Amino acid sequence: MLFWILVAILTAAVAAVLVLPLMRAAVPLPSPHSHDIEVYRDQLDELARDREAGLIGGEEAELARAEIARRLLAASAADATAGQSAPKRLLSSRHAQAFIFLCLPAIGVGLYLMTGSPGVPAQPLAARLASPGDDINILIANAENRLALNPGDGAGWDLLAPIYMRSGRVDDAVDAYDRAIRLMGPTPARLGGYAEALVVQSGGLVTAEAQSALEKALALDSDDPRSEFYLALGLRQEGKRAEALAAFRKLAGKSPADATWMPFVNRHIAELGGPPPDAAGAAPGNPTSKDIAAADEMGAGDRQAMIRGMVESLSSRLKEDPANFEGWTRLIRSYVVLDQRDKAEEALREGLKAFPATGDEGKQLLALGRELGIDASGEEK
Amino acid sequence: MIIELGHYALVLALATAIIQAWLPIAGVTRGDRALMELASSAAVVCFLLVAFSFAVLTFAYVTSDFSVRNVWENSHSLKPLIYKMTGVWGNHEGSMLLWLLILVFFSALVSLFGRSLPETLKATVLAVQAWIAGAFALFILLTSNPFARLIPAPGEGKDLNPVLQDIGLSIHPPLLYLGYVGFSVCFSFAVAALIEGRIDAAWARWVRPWTLAAWTCLTAGIAMGSYWAYYELGWGGWWFWDPVENASFMPWLAGTALLHSALVMEKREALKIWTVLLAILTFSLSLLGTFLVRSGVLTSVHAFATDPTRGVFILAILVIFIGGAFSLFALRASHLKAGGIFAPISREGALVLNNLILTTATATVLTGTLYPLLLEALTGDKISVGAPFFNMTFGLLMLPLIAVVPFGPLLAWKRGDLAGAAQRLFAAAAIGLVVAATCYYAANGGPVLAPLGIGLGAYLILGALTDLVLRSGLGKVAGGVAWRRLTGLPRSAFGTALAHIGLGITLIGIVTVTAFQTEVVAEMKPGAMIDVGRYSLRFDGMRQGRGPNYTEERGHFTVSRGGVAVTEIWSSKRLYPARRMPTTEAGIRTFGLSQLYVSLGDQMAGGGIVVRIWWKPLILCIWGGALVMMAGGIVSLSDRRLRVGAPSRARKAVLATGAAE
Amino acid sequence: MTRKQKRLAIIGGGVGFLTAAVLLVMFAFSQAVAYFYVPGDLAKASVAPGTRIRLGGLVETGSVKRGEGRTVTFNVTDTLATVSVTYTGILPDLFREGQGVVAEGAFAAGSPVFVADTVLAKHDETYMPKDVADRLKAQGVTLGGKENIR
Repeated sequence: MLFWILVAILTAAVAAVLVLPLMRAAVPLPSPHSHDIEVYRDQLDELARDREAGLIGGEEAELARAEIARRLLAASAADATAGQSAPKRLLSSRHAQAFIFLCLPAIGVGLYLMTGSPGVPAQPLAARLASPGDDINILIANAENRLALNPGDGAGWDLLAPIYMRSGRVDDAVDAYDRAIRLMGPTPARLGGYAEALVVQSGGLVTAEAQSALEKALALDSDDPRSEFYLALGLRQEGKRAEALAAFRKLAGKSPADATWMPFVNRHIAELGGPPPDAAGAAPGNPTSKDIAAADEMGAGDRQAMIRGMVESLSSRLKEDPANFEGWTRLIRSYVVLDQRDKAEEALREGLKAFPATGDEGKQLLALGRELGIDASGEEK
Repeated sequence: MIIELGHYALVLALATAIIQAWLPIAGVTRGDRALMELASSAAVVCFLLVAFSFAVLTFAYVTSDFSVRNVWENSHSLKPLIYKMTGVWGNHEGSMLLWLLILVFFSALVSLFGRSLPETLKATVLAVQAWIAGAFALFILLTSNPFARLIPAPGEGKDLNPVLQDIGLSIHPPLLYLGYVGFSVCFSFAVAALIEGRIDAAWARWVRPWTLAAWTCLTAGIAMGSYWAYYELGWGGWWFWDPVENASFMPWLAGTALLHSALVMEKREALKIWTVLLAILTFSLSLLGTFLVRSGVLTSVHAFATDPTRGVFILAILVIFIGGAFSLFALRASHLKAGGIFAPISREGALVLNNLILTTATATVLTGTLYPLLLEALTGDKISVGAPFFNMTFGLLMLPLIAVVPFGPLLAWKRGDLAGAAQRLFAAAAIGLVVAATCYYAANGGPVLAPLGIGLGAYLILGALTDLVLRSGLGKVAGGVAWRRLTGLPRSAFGTALAHIGLGITLIGIVTVTAFQTEVVAEMKPGAMIDVGRYSLRFDGMRQGRGPNYTEERGHFTVSRGGVAVTEIWSSKRLYPARRMPTTEAGIRTFGLSQLYVSLGDQMAGGGIVVRIWWKPLILCIWGGALVMMAGGIVSLSDRRLRVGAPSRARKAVLATGAAE
Repeated sequence: MTRKQKRLAIIGGGVGFLTAAVLLVMFAFSQAVAYFYVPGDLAKASVAPGTRIRLGGLVETGSVKRGEGRTVTFNVTDTLATVSVTYTGILPDLFREGQGVVAEGAFAAGSPVFVADTVLAKHDETYMPKDVADRLKAQGVTLGGKENIR
């Protein structure tokens, strides 16, 4: 509302300034020759000055003087015959005022409504950083800024890496995984995520670097389905079809039928010429190639929803199945990095319900809370 | 809300421009003075609105408001404040807004300081200015709106192209635009004269200072752009005959011609029709330059974006304004009374020759720039017209011009004495020849043309000085009298001399660098020595470095002369991770007017690195000459004679144009 | 000379000068202009050795070889044909395998090798020499995008 009031005031002020000259009494228009006469007189003065200063020769000056004088005479004669034109104030004045009062608001508001976004507030970065609210972009930016000040915070990188991956910032994801691995040590999840980011970065190719990360991941956990999947893909890309088929079959044998990666595995198996195997046991996984493929296809807006959704889905999964220690630590860290401390505290309390503080894991949760500066004893709001 | 207010102010500026474009013209046809006076207040209002709008955009950049799409696309929260501000015009939308701001700024100046102008002329001029402003405001709002919003706002911006994060580039576009757009005032005066069917005596007195001011800014802008390309691109070149460079060079050439023909018109009321035509031509070339750069017709370093609707829109503006102005010229030029007569050998004659050569040179540059586009459109063949073409045509055309430049000021108006002038220039020409011979001897033979070029430059400088000496009567009258006469000379005489001297200095720089620069490309390992010109460089090794938003590999070189270490040079390759863009930061050391220029190439397996080193003798003369030319422009602008008209008021106008630089 | 003769002399001089300028421009166009080709064109059109042309295309992956320090050879391809190029000097910052490039120079006499004296690379992520982009697009080559295997 205030905006439209200001718009009205601005328009009115401009209209007033424009109309003002039309309100004045009519003044006669001097003949155009009167200006010429003034200029010629000045030229004569200037000539006289130059001659006194000796800048111009006598003969040359005389010629110039004669020429200017001739022009002066002609202009004076024309001025005398033209005389002063009578002051004119035709109907045009009222028409002109109407034109102004109509034109300004019509064009102004019309075109503005066509091109502008009325009601959208200015969003200076400093203000957004101070109170981020639900602004997921700012939450990421906040985390980034914190990491820029404290790049040794491995947990922060660890958390940010998959978020980058899902927002399509693959290069940043590679960097974040790399730092997390260096700072926090390798885990199958980190190495697998790193390799996956490398694969996406190189346009789907399982590079030598990715392969070595995947092998390390499998050395740590021989049951990591993601690592197995990409290694198998790498084998296929190298043209080792038989080995790739065997690897895909092995993976399919271990995976549950409804695992998100199964359609891809089955497709590869089919393409490599093998029959689809039966489904078997399950293992929980990190974001899979399908998720990432989906993230790639999504627009920017969808991605933001996806990041928010990812944290939320982790939270709801934990509500159903609270006996997931790693899940709780991830959730707590997520909230801290996203600067939602109250939610982090809540998650810590929930986690302690599943893993009592007396147990080993409960102690680890408490230690994590202390490290992150979260108080589990706080009252629920 | 402030962003949207800025946006609305821009729309309102368009509405004001539409009113300013129609009502004053109606006033002129009906003889209604009130309607004519409306133009003045409208011009000021329009300027204030656009200025507010521009300030709001700058505010959005400074506060990193990424809800503005333009800010998100071209800024970054960690960018230094100065580049946040200059980033406003480091992109298509913002630079068009700057273009408009400068245009309405000039309109406001005409309105505020043009009180001595005849009412009808002033009203028509401001109306024509408003036509241009309206067209560009509409263009900005419909195709390149800098106030487009992005909701939800991203958390971080995409940053400015690192090549553009440089102080030289930050100043270069506004200067260039001041020049480009400054010629719009001359254009508006020309169109107004055609509409009125008569040229007032005050006309030339107004057009000349505007031309001078615009020309001075354009000179500065071009020189700055050239120096920026020289040190930032790392190719060692200072002029590439790139279409975008040509786009700014053509208005400069035409503007130089206009400067000289306006002089004839002011003094002798001759060449009226020609001057009007040149004024239209100069601004048309500015518009053409804007079209070439902004439409993406030419893909080059400078084209920020390629968007066909923009191209079509600017083409429409181009056709309407240039076509309209030339049609008007064809219809009305015969109404303008022809002015004074003069003999072929006279100062007027020399200036006509100057105009003939300059416009022909402009035409060759125009042909070379547009011919590839035309050929591709007609036959589909793709050709590139590069430096060899321009050197052959433009360079050759400039030779006779330079030879006759010193004659101009020495010839009298109306009827001159060629033999007398030649006699007076004898000393300058003789010294020029001696300089040429000395250079030839010093260079141990070599190309004949280069020493001749240097001699020509010396002749140009001495010829300009000869004029001052003769006019002060030095040697004929007593020293004191001569001094008094010299100091009493009108400033425009010094302006002329300075501009011609500047041209001579630039010529010497260009010829020396082109003919005598030494270039060495070599693979160097740490400890290796290489001789370039009179200096030896030792490569000491590479070091890693890190800047605020880049990483770099810096090569260290020790420069020695005759076995004694003189100085050191750092040359580096940078990588900007935000855009994953490598840049070359050439290492440059200045020795007097000459420079050593070191550029790094690829690193080799054995620890060596490919380096390219130039010894560039007298290279600073190229830009130094441009500075002297600018100084000439400024001195001329401050001349008392340009203030004549209605003295007290017109003086402010000159101060204002001075402030606009 | 009468006034009319003087005027005629001036106009004659002007016309003469302009004619000379036009001839000069035409001469320069015949001498100093480089036509643009992609490797596929060269099979059809025969380019005489020594004629300056611009050769555009993609730098073939794996083809860049450094000779003795400052001489580099690489292949320029438009996927239909390939031309090998030698260049002595410093390659531009953005010269990369698999990316667009324009080389200016001439074929050496009796040799299929193109000797370039100028090499221009695309100038940022979105810039591709317009000539190259147009031609390659016309021949159905996708730019920049690698085959997505997944």
